[in-house]
Amino acid sequence: MARWLGLLAILSAALLAAVLPAPTPSHSQGVEVFLNVTQGGSKKLGIAIPEFTRLTQAPDEGNFARAIPEIIGNDLRFSALFAVANVPALPATKDGIQQEFARLQQAGAHAAMHGLMRIDGQRLTIEFRLHDLTNPEFRLIASKMFWVEPLADHRRLAHRIADEVVHQFTGERGIAETKIVYVSQFSANKELVMIDYDGFNQAQLTNLRSTSLSPAWSPTDSSVAFTSFFKGYPYLFRIFPFNPRRRGQDPELMSAWPGINTAPAWAPDGRTLALTLSKGGNPDIFTLRVGTSDFRQLTNSRGIETDPSWSPTGRQIVFTSDRSGSPQIWVMDAEGTNARRLSSGGSYDTQPRWSPRGDTIVFTRRTSSGFDLWAINPDGSNARPLTQSNGSNEGASWAPNGRHLVFSSTRGGRAQLYTMLADGTEQQPLTRDRGEASSPTWSPRPQ
Amino acid sequence: MSRKPWQTTFAVLALFAASVVLTGCPKKPAPQAGTGPGGGAGPTVSGGTGSGAGGAGAAGAGGTGAGGGAMGSGPGSAGSMGAGTGGAGAGGTGAAGAGGAGAAGGAGAGMAGATGTTIPSLPSPKEFVESGALRDVYFEFDRYDVRAGDKGTLDENARWLKTNQTALLLIEGHADERGTNEYNLALGERRAKATRDYLVSLGIDAGRITVISYGEERPTCTDKNDGCWVKNRRAHFLVKQ
Repeated sequence: MARWLGLLAILSAALLAAVLPAPTPSHSQGVEVFLNVTQGGSKKLGIAIPEFTRLTQAPDEGNFARAIPEIIGNDLRFSALFAVANVPALPATKDGIQQEFARLQQAGAHAAMHGLMRIDGQRLTIEFRLHDLTNPEFRLIASKMFWVEPLADHRRLAHRIADEVVHQFTGERGIAETKIVYVSQFSANKELVMIDYDGFNQAQLTNLRSTSLSPAWSPTDSSVAFTSFFKGYPYLFRIFPFNPRRRGQDPELMSAWPGINTAPAWAPDGRTLALTLSKGGNPDIFTLRVGTSDFRQLTNSRGIETDPSWSPTGRQIVFTSDRSGSPQIWVMDAEGTNARRLSSGGSYDTQPRWSPRGDTIVFTRRTSSGFDLWAINPDGSNARPLTQSNGSNEGASWAPNGRHLVFSSTRGGRAQLYTMLADGTEQQPLTRDRGEASSPTWSPRPQ
Repeated sequence: MSRKPWQTTFAVLALFAASVVLTGCPKKPAPQAGTGPGGGAGPTVSGGTGSGAGGAGAAGAGGTGAGGGAMGSGPGSAGSMGAGTGGAGAGGTGAAGAGGAGAAGGAGAGMAGATGTTIPSLPSPKEFVESGALRDVYFEFDRYDVRAGDKGTLDENARWLKTNQTALLLIEGHADERGTNEYNLALGERRAKATRDYLVSLGIDAGRITVISYGEERPTCTDKNDGCWVKNRRAHFLVKQ
């Protein structure tokens, strides 16, 4: 036993490093024993998800017993940590279940997630049980119960379970419950639209019949700051997508200086906003204490300064400046001091976005073929392309786990949203709207 | 132990918290709902360990699972109910908005009294109309200096403004679609202001001029080629009599 644990400790450290871009913090917790499958060059955990076992007689009109395992499976696949097999329901007897687990284990699964489902009126309850198939007795490693009401919210329940499974294996919650807000072209107007992170449940957030741009999701209070022309000039507003009392109301005004009020970026504590104002003559970066009129100027050059993005510590701000003659990526302390240039080798670098993990800054670079997303380390080293020769790719936004990015690309014709991992792999389409989709902002995890 | 060689070689992804090592060993099922150090926000240590152990109640709220062994069937059923962290019952996570921040401050009149938290009293762009007498000026890619060849155009525009003393002017700054939205809004602003500054240098009262940047949002030409982009990188003039 002791020897076995020792082996686990060693291998787990090595394999985790391979699976996760960066180790999770020290309070990561209890995970279990799982094998790796080599798939597409990266190590993934093989997990089998049988159709759920129904415990109630109520008709399963939504076919949830099959649909929810599929949603969970897609969430786990998207995480890029798992190789998922959605399989038929388990037998009813204990022996039968053991035999099926043995068969799944033979087929390469290292874990199984068995779900027990109840439908009581509009309430859907699922108990999931994670089994370690590498253990000879298929030991139960975790079980947990979740419910949702009404039934129409079943996707949210599925996402929550998927996030819990990710948590069990990595110590960090998944991102399947997150949302994405972006700019959607409606004939001559640009409105804000919200979707689940997987593209479902599309909802139009604004109907201002104007041009709205650059949405930025607050890290703490579920508000989205954005620039809109609906009062004539480009002022900064915010909306509260989850607050039903604000539905139908005008957005809340945040900044309305003569000139431009653009490029909002929330500090990690959610109390301060960095933004671009031209009230001093040319576009400079300012901060605003949210809910006050306390504006402070951070930059003061003769050129263009815009696109601020905070480091996860809140101590630094990365931004775009053309003070060297062309737009480049610069970084400064949050007080506006100690500005230094990060990017080189490009003639037009904009839209820097600091990873929530702190270790990477993604930005948009003009190249011979259009625009591509690049990444650079915060010390200016290791500049590398994430997209290449595939339309114009812009406006990246980090998922709260710092492992995924959403961005817009014209690779399929008109601009639509795509996602990828932080290293540029696993690029896949997210939206297929009739109008152009751009400027995504990824929500934090729900509180 | 019937582990196959490949299994051992590939073994195991695991992050061990002490609790798991201690309570989660095989064959030593933790009998009760695991109350790990739960609570707090963020990635808390929420249990779910050991066979039959439940999860600790993570971040507050929601219904507690209850129900215990009633649902038990299948392996590991011994008291296997986790503390169910409740689902998202109530509609939406309310965001206690910080009131109407916009209501603060007095009436800001134009540039002078502007506070940033009320809409400045500028003339609406909708009040300005096209004037056949005023011609656009154009800019190089990513530049906002008035080209020498365009100064003649601005000289003529200035002459018209001097003979039409009551006319107010709106200068729109535009960019082509290449480049990013936020940068292009800044670029359009610089183009409009560079144009305004030239007109002011010719003696036009700055108080007659309002500027607005539309960035790349209002192209006059929507093809994706140089001939079109050239037309979109412009300062455009509208008047209000």
